[in-house]
Amino acid sequence: MTAPLLETRGLSKSYGDREVVSQLELICNAGSVLGLLGPNGAGKTTTLRMLYGFIEPDAGEIRYRGRDFAEERTALKRIIGVCTQEDTLDYDFSVEQNLQVYAGYFNPRVPNVKQRVQELLEQFDLTQYRDASPHALSGGYKQRLLIARSIVHHPEILFLDEPTTGLDPAARVAVWELVDQLRKAGMGVILTTHYMDEAERLSDQLVVLREGRVAARGLPHEVLGSLLGEHVLTLRSDLEERPQVLEVLKEMGLPTHKVLSDILAPVTARQLADISERLPSVRLTVRPPNLDDLFLELSRSSSSSSSGAKK
Amino acid sequence: MKYWLEAFDWRSLAVLRRNALVYLRNWRTAFFPPAMEPVVFFLAFGLGLQGYVGEINYRGATISYATYVAPGLIAYTAFGTPFYESLYSAYVRMFYQKTWDGILATQVELPHLVWGEILWAGVRGFMNSAIVCAVLAVFDLLGWVELRMAWLPALPFLGMLAGFCFSAFGLIFTAVVPSIDHMNYPVFLIGMPISLISNTYFPLEPQQAWLRTAMQLNPVYHLAETSRGLLVHGDPGGHLSWLIGCTSIGLLAFFTIAHHFTRRRMLG
Repeated sequence: MTAPLLETRGLSKSYGDREVVSQLELICNAGSVLGLLGPNGAGKTTTLRMLYGFIEPDAGEIRYRGRDFAEERTALKRIIGVCTQEDTLDYDFSVEQNLQVYAGYFNPRVPNVKQRVQELLEQFDLTQYRDASPHALSGGYKQRLLIARSIVHHPEILFLDEPTTGLDPAARVAVWELVDQLRKAGMGVILTTHYMDEAERLSDQLVVLREGRVAARGLPHEVLGSLLGEHVLTLRSDLEERPQVLEVLKEMGLPTHKVLSDILAPVTARQLADISERLPSVRLTVRPPNLDDLFLELSRSSSSSSSGAKK
Repeated sequence: MKYWLEAFDWRSLAVLRRNALVYLRNWRTAFFPPAMEPVVFFLAFGLGLQGYVGEINYRGATISYATYVAPGLIAYTAFGTPFYESLYSAYVRMFYQKTWDGILATQVELPHLVWGEILWAGVRGFMNSAIVCAVLAVFDLLGWVELRMAWLPALPFLGMLAGFCFSAFGLIFTAVVPSIDHMNYPVFLIGMPISLISNTYFPLEPQQAWLRTAMQLNPVYHLAETSRGLLVHGDPGGHLSWLIGCTSIGLLAFFTIAHHFTRRRMLG
């Protein structure tokens, strides 16, 4: 049996008394995208930084292709590509030179660097900007260059930390297509994102983090089911019976989220049947849960646990 | 100590190469202004003040003030270039451009990054010192100074070795200052006194024991006196040993401190 491309066991990291990542177990295989989701402060970026060696874990182990990262760090960093959340392009160089110079930070050397750079310029539609400064690029093209740069050395696994934050919809779709190409080419991708549609579309597996721990993992729809239930009850502001429904939900101990003027309540099929039975004349609006609902739920539970801690 | 040998690792050289490529891209703006600074200083101090100062007795030889100042300018350049390079330029790369974050996402590790910056700043010290030496050679031919020209080519190499130490010293401040405005502290409170209490522009014979000790431990002083000894007498005296000792110990100590604080700042 071949070892997974990436596997972590018991990965933990604390800053002072605060445990940012706790006992994290992850697996990512070649040709798949693992989505790491969670609200701000859930430990996504810290996890990624440990995985690509920017910071040291306090405990646990990281294995690439079954080899211990702590013992073979330099060799294994050769198969890792990193696209950081912040813009770390080298503004002292042109677009083409960014790729060439970055290739020089890897050993064994990238074979045929010039040809590789040319390939990437074409693949990422950057040829027309090859001699321009990265300053001249739009946000979407800067992101393309960042991703192109992170794979200049033919890595086997790529870390993408919130790759589409701040991009317009067209640029986001373009980045998604590039990620999909890389997956199809056999690369393992670990992606953190705030965008629910992005995680749903790109991820083969989702891991949801809450306060540094895994809250759920699996296929996107499985994750939603395990954390939210099967349905989301939507109470619009123009629903006359809204107070009565809220009262019933309160009696049943079900959480609600206010989104603008709507109130949302994740419910199971059984709970939905109970509500219908108690309010037979009310016309309830129900839809399947999505990852936005998940984020609301995670944010709610995080804030309630932290406010509880303050008390 | 385990990081000291990383200076020779290919990754340290990759960082050096990156900085050298940027320099070559912008060499017109990067090279001339700093290289011309000591020339302007020489014209102002050496030739300008010579009429007032006259001649100076240096280790038994009577020399013009311009001849006295010339080796001091080489020492000042070999100190100032790497020190300010590792203060300002490195800070911009670290803080504003996030260049270091990008590099650290590769096989390059923090010790290589710090060594690469030290090596590059030392090389810059070499280049600027070489320019000063070339200009002084012209002045010697013009009869404005009287120097033992044969020793001139050796001085940029000495300056580069000392420059590694000065650069490592500068990187400590780069790692700890909260903002670029705070660079005024190391520049004016540390860099300026070090470059002045070093026999660069004027001879100092302090009566106070603490000041004599400070001078004795100041590598810029030994660099200035080594340069002057070679260019005037062809003999550096005991200053060469002091220079090598101070800068070697200083380099390893300052690297260790700079690496520690840079790790704390960059990696938490």
